[in-house]
Amino acid sequence: MGQFLRFAFVRAIMAVVTLIIVSFIVFSLMEMVPGDCAERYLAFKNTQGSGISVADIDAERERLGLNRPFMVRWASWIWHAFQGDFGESCILRMDISQLLSDKFLISLGIALAALALAYAIALPVGIISATSRNPVLNNTLRLVSYLGLALPNFLLALMIMLFSTMVYGNSLTGLFSPQYRDAPWSWDKFVDFAGHAWLPIFILGWSATAFAIQTVRALMSDEIGKLYVTAARARGISGWRLLRRYPARHALGPIINSLGFDLNRVFNELPVVALILTLTEAGSLLIEALARSNDQQLAGAIIFLLTGSIVALNFFTDILLALADPRVRHSILGRSA
Amino acid sequence: MAERAAKRQAAGGVDDKAREAYFTASQGQLIWARFKRNTSAMAGLIVLVTLILAGLFSPFLTPYDPTAAGRDMSYQNGAPQIPRMWDENGFSWRPFIYTPERFRSIKTNFRWVTRINRNKRRYMTFLPKGDPYKLFGMAFRTHLFGVDKGKIHLFGTDAAGKDIFSRTFHAINTSLAVGTIGVFLAFFLALIIGGISGFYGGWIDSALQMFTDAIRTVPAIPLFMALAAFIPPEWSAEARFFFISTILGLIGWPTLARRVRTHLLTERNQEYVLAAKLCGASASHIIRRHLLPSFTSYIIVDLVISFPYMVLSETALSFIGLGLKDPVNSLGVMLQNVTQADVLLNYQWYFIPVIFFIVLVLAFVFVGDGLRDAADPYAETRK
Repeated sequence: MGQFLRFAFVRAIMAVVTLIIVSFIVFSLMEMVPGDCAERYLAFKNTQGSGISVADIDAERERLGLNRPFMVRWASWIWHAFQGDFGESCILRMDISQLLSDKFLISLGIALAALALAYAIALPVGIISATSRNPVLNNTLRLVSYLGLALPNFLLALMIMLFSTMVYGNSLTGLFSPQYRDAPWSWDKFVDFAGHAWLPIFILGWSATAFAIQTVRALMSDEIGKLYVTAARARGISGWRLLRRYPARHALGPIINSLGFDLNRVFNELPVVALILTLTEAGSLLIEALARSNDQQLAGAIIFLLTGSIVALNFFTDILLALADPRVRHSILGRSA
Repeated sequence: MAERAAKRQAAGGVDDKAREAYFTASQGQLIWARFKRNTSAMAGLIVLVTLILAGLFSPFLTPYDPTAAGRDMSYQNGAPQIPRMWDENGFSWRPFIYTPERFRSIKTNFRWVTRINRNKRRYMTFLPKGDPYKLFGMAFRTHLFGVDKGKIHLFGTDAAGKDIFSRTFHAINTSLAVGTIGVFLAFFLALIIGGISGFYGGWIDSALQMFTDAIRTVPAIPLFMALAAFIPPEWSAEARFFFISTILGLIGWPTLARRVRTHLLTERNQEYVLAAKLCGASASHIIRRHLLPSFTSYIIVDLVISFPYMVLSETALSFIGLGLKDPVNSLGVMLQNVTQADVLLNYQWYFIPVIFFIVLVLAFVFVGDGLRDAADPYAETRK
């Protein structure tokens, strides 16, 4: 148990270090962008009719602390970010954590649901396609998963929209019915949400499923030819029992390991799909924040949150893997100790 | 299979030549021989080569200039025109289309309506002179086909009257160019970073791995969107084009770098590397002459496989308006307006280019998969 705690601790430290590196990259990129928060806000005010002088901009910089050295600002940003405080948006002048909390959770929920859907389909299908010698079945599965790769999510979303407008005359957009949009969370609102969310979940799950099937299939066909499987078969175990107890257990490790990167892929596609379906979660908010007003404070916060959830998932899958597989635990401890 | 065939022939004593050819074949010949036997990969290759040629020669193959210069003022949002050889007015050896006519009257509430006049035929002409274009640095005016009067739009036109057929083929070109630049940049970075990491190992490796992993956790598209939004709007189309390709390359390297590293880590402890070291070879010599050739095939396969993702990323970015912009044609640019209900309901031919892109991406995936199987020397013994 002590050993396990030490492993978890090492992994947690590594996750934090990764986050710090990431935050540095994100923060530097947001700094390299021309113009800063003060200029942006005041330029925005300028368009609203109030005259702005250079002195005003300097005063605003002073107020926001933008005149401090780069490293100091980064340190303070990351310090606050870990406490869940991302400061104020450059343009909207609203507290970012307040602005994002609900939307971010909804995005995360949709992304995780898409991932769950993908693996719920991919695990059995991948195992069947790795073990079956039926060429028709195999080729069909291959074609389907190729299509999942070739038909990008946003095209799929467009096709579904095209279809639903042609057939039902309704374009299936939005996440909430109007009466629930600003209502506090309740069971009814959740049901309404689920009624709308299945479409983005399905669309995001589509290509995630294709990827997952390929991974599961490749891993399973690698394991299935190994000697321990033959040995188990020789002992008289067969069918699903054999697959579940021997090769599937081995193949599961790398799959759990790659979940974090799968989430990354889903996040990559989230904003585009969200834009088409005009959902108001963090993804489309990101586009709004960026494309229209160049709000670097908001952008940095969103990217940090997305990366943070991937790092967190990686951390949890590592812990999970260590619980399931002692070899991993030892390899990590062996290196760090 | 080739082995078995070779053995069978050798056993019969009939043909030692095939056997000889098999054992003396270069790595490239072996891969090609295995690749040729994979039907789906071969089909993919044929489609891919066709599409690449179509993209390269697009100015000649398509009748009009894909930019605003080639637009058809009198046929905006026009439906596809399908050439035919006969109708109720009789048969013609030369394929023809009908003439669309715009008119308005009290019946149409004085709005302009396009009507097809079946009695006025436009005959197709071959190799007519049309919009000027440049191909391989030379100026031409000849296009593959056109019509004698007015214009022909096989895939219809968009809201500005630009020919969707012409735009689609030019877009293939753009996508291939973006993908090529992106892939090569990613490849270059991956080779350097993965190479250093894998060859030297130790703390250099650990530090670089930490860095690579951190990069890998950042979701690339949102990050890219963050950056793209700050591109000054006055940038030219070409500047944007190179910026997008560069970004795609910068995003794409970590996966490849990891693979290069893993491979180098296993290869560098092999005897042949030790032998080279004992002979006094320098690090760069060992990498160039011994280690790189040991996995060129893997690298090529990886490049082909990562290509469609570059194309798709570009498409997605242009689609949301953060990538390429109008004078440049790409699928994403062409799809920018299709989410409007108006387009979805009335102008479905806007989606025709999508088919080409799905085929292009699928062809790449098939070829990449086929190459991967073909490049794996153990693929046959394992089965």
